[in-house]
Amino acid sequence: MKNDMTDTEIKISIRKLYKIFGDAPGPALQHVRDGMGKTELLESHSHVLGLRDINIDIPAGKTTVIMGLSGSGKSTLIRHLNRLIEPTAGEVWVDGENILEYNEKQLRDLRKYKMSMVFQKFALLPHRTVLQNAGLAPSVEGQSEKKYADEARKWLDRVGLHGQGDQYPHQLSGGMQQRVGIARALTSNSDIMLMDEAFSALDPLIRTDMQDLLNELQAELHKTVVFITHDLDEALKLADHLVILKDGFVVQQGEPQHILLNPADPYIEDFVSDINRARVLRVRSVMEKTPDAAGTRAGDIDHDATLESVIALSEGDTALSYRVMKDGTPVGTLDMRKLVRALVPSEQSSDPEGARRSG
Amino acid sequence: MATYDFVFDGLGLRNWCGESGDDGGGMQSMAQLLAQTSGEEAETSVMDTPFPSMDALHEACPSFPQSRELTSGLEQGFLAIKDSLKVVLDPLTQPLSWTLENALWIMQAVPWFIMIPLLMAIAYAVSRSIKLVGLVVLCFSFLGFVDYYDYTMQTLAIIFVCAFICVLLGVPIGIAMSRSDRVQRTMIPVLDMLQTLPPFVYLIPLIFLFSVTEPKLYGIAIILYAIVPVVRLTDLGIRLVDPDVIEAADAFGMTKRQKLFNVQIPLALPNIMAGVNQTIMMSLAMVVIASLVSAPGLGVLVLRGIRSLELGVGLLSGLGIVLLAIILDRVTKAALARINAGQSR
Repeated sequence: MKNDMTDTEIKISIRKLYKIFGDAPGPALQHVRDGMGKTELLESHSHVLGLRDINIDIPAGKTTVIMGLSGSGKSTLIRHLNRLIEPTAGEVWVDGENILEYNEKQLRDLRKYKMSMVFQKFALLPHRTVLQNAGLAPSVEGQSEKKYADEARKWLDRVGLHGQGDQYPHQLSGGMQQRVGIARALTSNSDIMLMDEAFSALDPLIRTDMQDLLNELQAELHKTVVFITHDLDEALKLADHLVILKDGFVVQQGEPQHILLNPADPYIEDFVSDINRARVLRVRSVMEKTPDAAGTRAGDIDHDATLESVIALSEGDTALSYRVMKDGTPVGTLDMRKLVRALVPSEQSSDPEGARRSG
Repeated sequence: MATYDFVFDGLGLRNWCGESGDDGGGMQSMAQLLAQTSGEEAETSVMDTPFPSMDALHEACPSFPQSRELTSGLEQGFLAIKDSLKVVLDPLTQPLSWTLENALWIMQAVPWFIMIPLLMAIAYAVSRSIKLVGLVVLCFSFLGFVDYYDYTMQTLAIIFVCAFICVLLGVPIGIAMSRSDRVQRTMIPVLDMLQTLPPFVYLIPLIFLFSVTEPKLYGIAIILYAIVPVVRLTDLGIRLVDPDVIEAADAFGMTKRQKLFNVQIPLALPNIMAGVNQTIMMSLAMVVIASLVSAPGLGVLVLRGIRSLELGVGLLSGLGIVLLAIILDRVTKAALARINAGQSR
């Protein structure tokens, strides 16, 4: 599922987005445009810089993960996509329309039909049953419970809550409540799913389950998912497109593998240094694109295999070299020495694919 | 010489005051009279300097009004606007009189052997508790046994009507307060005043406005006194609704109206019900005071106990009110507990 980003359709496009919190954001915005930083703005003008010059293209049918530490503005950013927060300046284009020009009715329709949202703290309605919660979107449209029950039940079954429709949210565990949250988002049948730290409140095992569930659903449904997280492991597991935020601006965005091999600045290097690279990196990111190079091959490996699996295959022998296959045709060669070098974070400049891509 | 002569002399107002320091006209204080009879001016030391009150200033300047002219002025003012106020208030409050009269009539016209089972059924429907129904039967049987059944029904009728109207008016006011900080800022002093003003005080203008024979007189007094908690707790309850849930409602495109009726009010219901409980309790307290202005019911017996020192009547009717309070409190609390159980997280 982690394919090249080229020639995919853009679903949401954020242009020059600024958000400043305070009484008079107008003058403060000018200062920020003139290059004033977050701390300086807070000290001299007592305005909080939320987002600064955000430009992101979110591809259709893919998972875009926006990652950043707390205070980096990631939750603020996702709320601009359905205008739960109004920006100070900028544009947000969804399917070719600038949603900031929408009136109240258009905005409600956008939220009803085009976007759904999953929340960190689940935000289920405690006085409604699980089924009624899952059917929130159709019930907002005015459909009766009888009418939306089948659709809601279908999605509850799909997220693994078979037969729980008559329970109340407080009778479910956290993980199950978030499954209801996901079912609620799916029942709305919207193309876009916004997930605001959807799994952060869950314990690690359940979180892994939910990540697998999301990947599974994505493979089947191809929604445009915008996922917010502060957890790099989670980001790498889910992302087709990764955006890293820091202090309200985008530090780096691109394919996760690429960011891992070519961190743009020390901040990201810091971030990625703790990652188990063997598990995250794929063969295609480190191979030589020369399928017909001379030399003996120890065997064939898939281009999407993790380096960890290749190491297991080679039993630690660094003298070996493998042929890389994609859909049955050879696409490159992987030398085990190169693989081992890629596991060390400082070895980035020698990566040919990374050099080709960064531009 | 009066203490504050210098004020008027200094301001050049002596001419406006007329003759200075002369106490020929007007009323004389006891001290002045005493001084006259003993034939000597009272010794004045610094320690005796009076507060520059209206009376003290009047002494220095006869044209300055005395304080009792202020109170009588207030009274005159109220009497002056009374008629025009009546034109507006009378038709507005007439339905209240009508409702109270009818409620009183119905509660007494229905025979006891229908009324008590009816009350039992209501108690059961609200609380789903057999024990509570037993308590209801016990209390009403006791009150009937000591021949206070009619008085009890009268009190109950007044409370039902007044508490219902309090909820009818109070919940929308509370909602308006929760939605606008400006409404909240203007309402809170009014609510504070209604809550702290001694209940006897606002009986007085009502007596001037309406005839003592009209039920709406005590109806208004009870409603004004008892409406405060339901307003406050509705406002509080809606403001306390989890902002995450409100955000979710917004994110799924609810209109303001859908949000109010499908999210905010249901989630604020435990608080609103706590307000209703308090409102009922306070109207029960006020029913006794309202018997001063001809409200029928157990309060009349309490009043009789005080007026003619009938200790037994006073104690027994007091006990009756306590029993009524217990029943009403338990039943509304049981309803509240059921709502809470339905949505605990």
